[in-house]
Amino acid sequence: MGNVVVWAVWVVAAFSCLASGIAVISFTNPFYSALALIGNLASLAVLYLLLSAEFVAAGQVLVYAGAVMVMFLFVTAYLGGHADAPWAGGPSWQQFGAVLAAGAILVEVIVVIGLKAGGRLSHEAKIDSNFGSPQQIGRLFLTDHLLAFEITSVVLLVAAVGAVILGAHSRRSGTTAGVIHEREVRARS
Amino acid sequence: MIIAAWICLLAPLAAALLITLLGTRISRRAAAYVSTTSVLSSFAAALVVFAKLWAESPDQRSHASTAWEWLNAGTFHVGLRILVDPLSVMMMLIVSGVGFLIVAYSIGYMDGDDEERRYFGYMALFVFSMLALVQAGNLVILLVGWGLVGLSSYLLIGFWHERPAAIAAAKKAFVMNAIGDATMALAFFILIQHGQSLNFPDTFDVGPGHGWLVNLVALGLLGGAVAKSAQLPLQTWLPDAMEGPTPVSALIHAATMVTAGVYLIVRTHAIFEQAPRVQELAAGLGAATLLMAGLIALVQTDIKRVIAYSTMSQIGYMFLGAGLGAYGSAMFHLMTHAFFKALLFLAAGLVIHALAGEQDMRKMGGVGRAMPVTRITFLIGSLALVGIPPFAGFFSKDSIIASALGQGWYQDLLFAVALIGTLLTGIYAFRLYFLVFPGEPSPFVEEHLMHGSHAVGVEGAHGESHGHDTHEHRGEGPFSMTAPVLVLAVLAVIGGWIQFAPLWHPISDWLEPVARPLTEPTNTQEALASLFAVLLGLAGIGVAWVLYSARRWQVPRWALGQRLLEHKFYFDEAYDFAFYRPSVALADYLRRWFEEPVIQGSITEVAGGVRDLGFWTRRLQTGLVRTYALAIAASLVVLMVVFVAVR
Amino acid sequence: MLGPDIAWYLAVSAFLFATGTLGVLLRRSPLIVLLSLEIMLNGANLALIAFARHQGDASGQIFALAVMAVAASEVVVGLGLIVAIARKRLDLDVDKLSFLRG
Repeated sequence: MGNVVVWAVWVVAAFSCLASGIAVISFTNPFYSALALIGNLASLAVLYLLLSAEFVAAGQVLVYAGAVMVMFLFVTAYLGGHADAPWAGGPSWQQFGAVLAAGAILVEVIVVIGLKAGGRLSHEAKIDSNFGSPQQIGRLFLTDHLLAFEITSVVLLVAAVGAVILGAHSRRSGTTAGVIHEREVRARS
Repeated sequence: MIIAAWICLLAPLAAALLITLLGTRISRRAAAYVSTTSVLSSFAAALVVFAKLWAESPDQRSHASTAWEWLNAGTFHVGLRILVDPLSVMMMLIVSGVGFLIVAYSIGYMDGDDEERRYFGYMALFVFSMLALVQAGNLVILLVGWGLVGLSSYLLIGFWHERPAAIAAAKKAFVMNAIGDATMALAFFILIQHGQSLNFPDTFDVGPGHGWLVNLVALGLLGGAVAKSAQLPLQTWLPDAMEGPTPVSALIHAATMVTAGVYLIVRTHAIFEQAPRVQELAAGLGAATLLMAGLIALVQTDIKRVIAYSTMSQIGYMFLGAGLGAYGSAMFHLMTHAFFKALLFLAAGLVIHALAGEQDMRKMGGVGRAMPVTRITFLIGSLALVGIPPFAGFFSKDSIIASALGQGWYQDLLFAVALIGTLLTGIYAFRLYFLVFPGEPSPFVEEHLMHGSHAVGVEGAHGESHGHDTHEHRGEGPFSMTAPVLVLAVLAVIGGWIQFAPLWHPISDWLEPVARPLTEPTNTQEALASLFAVLLGLAGIGVAWVLYSARRWQVPRWALGQRLLEHKFYFDEAYDFAFYRPSVALADYLRRWFEEPVIQGSITEVAGGVRDLGFWTRRLQTGLVRTYALAIAASLVVLMVVFVAVR
Repeated sequence: MLGPDIAWYLAVSAFLFATGTLGVLLRRSPLIVLLSLEIMLNGANLALIAFARHQGDASGQIFALAVMAVAASEVVVGLGLIVAIARKRLDLDVDKLSFLRG
């Protein structure tokens, strides 16, 4: 009985994951794409839960869907929804090549995993209830994977600095950037 | 002694290099003096070598010196080797001595020419090359010298390079010499293949088991000698070579280079003696050439051409001597011939120079009135040429003729031919003398010589040459030109007195360790030959006097013979038809059917292919991020397969 | 374990990754490209979590968290770039933004 429920949940989550993924790349309006991505992230969180990764699922929803996607939506709102025809532009072989490459990657990954892992995929390890809990994650972060933890914090710091620099308003005149800006503004008007 | 030998060889080379490197930084005169001094030093060094060698006993007289070995392949070694022995020393003295006189003469003759430095550089190069040839201690260095004299000859014949006739003559000389070089190289290959060292004298031990191989080697060597010495059948280049300046004709095409063939045969006589048929062939070719050249000289109208054919004829005598095995006589005649032939050329050069480049004998006459010294020297040279005692030619030529007696029907035939040659020599030599020197001056001579006209010195009546200062010509030329001529005249008189065959033969004795003669004529044979030769020579002079001086009889007219002789027995036409035309046709055919479509076409194809490749490659550079991302994705695809498959 | 095998999750992950690739290669708006990039990263994350579950080793989840942090930073900078571009009144079209072309 539990198995059936889990299967059902899995099917729904997986399906919505795939559907939202396709939706992201298909919508012309970036706003809708961003919303679709939020749906994608939510479905993934469900899948994570099924895989006993509670903390990661929580983090996904809070950080990814909560912070990152909100930022996306802010920027999309600020920029306005320029639409572009998804299948247009570029050299003639771009689209064909893209589909081919993506399809090939898909096929290859499945084949490789099938070849290499084969029957072993059916036997999972036994886990206890502590698996994937915040305690375990915290402990691992501060003992086995301390270096990764610290480096990640540095990466975040760098990103913050970068964002500040990119977002700062440059002086409108006097600097080179200001001059170029002025020239371009005048050219487009 | 060895050091002196090396100095003798290298001094002219140093001069040539110096002149080349200094270029226009030295004056023209200075270049001339550098060149002349170097040849004089060579001569001095050669004298030193000679003195030292003479002081030794005859069986000791052979020294070799190798500068370094540059070819080492198993048992085959070739080095920069020079050999000092009686034969090479004799040639060294002749080449450097007569060379010095002629180069000194050139100072006056080429004075004022724009490219005088180049001339003297080439002359120094030539003297070096000829010395390398005669001093060579192995066949390879000999071949090097052989080739270099051919090169120097080409450069000097074509010295006045604005004249198409000169260029054509230079090419002709070079190509015909190249034929000889090829046969010689083939001969060397055979020697090398049979494990011979190429050093003298080891190279002469071609074993008795190799019967027909020895004949091939001898034929190859004979081919080279025939080409270099302008004998039948490769003789056509020598008359054309007269396009070069007169001192060049004197040095290269009379005294030294053309005698290299004779030197070669004498040096390698051991090989020839093992191939007696080829040696007889050499004698026969010499005899045929001397006859043919004598006949052609009868109808020539250009002074230098007469003397050129005379050279061809006299070298025929030398070949005859070498072919019969009379090596000492042949070399002796080589020496005396160098004296009187150089004398004749230089004296003729004095006349040409005085007449502002005119060489046609028909316009000349009575030159002796204005140039008495030249007349005397020319007369001496002609008498020496014909072989009238006590002048030089008598002593040397008759020994050769005498060597032909008493050995068989073939040699008797050669004897007869040689005697006929003497008659012809008398006729053509004195035809030349009587037409040019004695008597009343012709109108042309009057105009140019008698009134001291300002002549613009242009060598050769046909076509342009380099700029040349004007000189006044009245009478004899400058001292720098007449002095060498006088020296040579003296040598032409006394040069023969060094050997009087039956009684006193230091030359043959000197050469004996190197080249033992095959035949020694007896006293009666010598006397007989001399008698006939002198009588026929005098008869020839008499005929010439009657026809051209006293004008008692008319020159007989025989149209067919005249045409035959004027066309030089149609050799040029025959060679043109047999060799030149087919080559040109073949070259044309190859160009049209192979060169243009295949080779040129393939180049165009390759170029087009590369351009197309570039075009297609350029289309990848779109500048779009998406394209590059696609490239990354595609490589990912490929790499995954590779990693999976290879692991 | 209840429910599907790990293999099913891996299939979903592969599909997500392929979809993300398609988006990156086909769309011209930089915003959408960034979104597609996010999908790719999430696909990888899913695979990581799945394998962590399969092996019983939570290091996979640690890795996934690190990936999330890095993805967040990258989005921050990317969006900053896009805003800067928009401020310069340039077209938000990846094909037209080729000033660094050689």
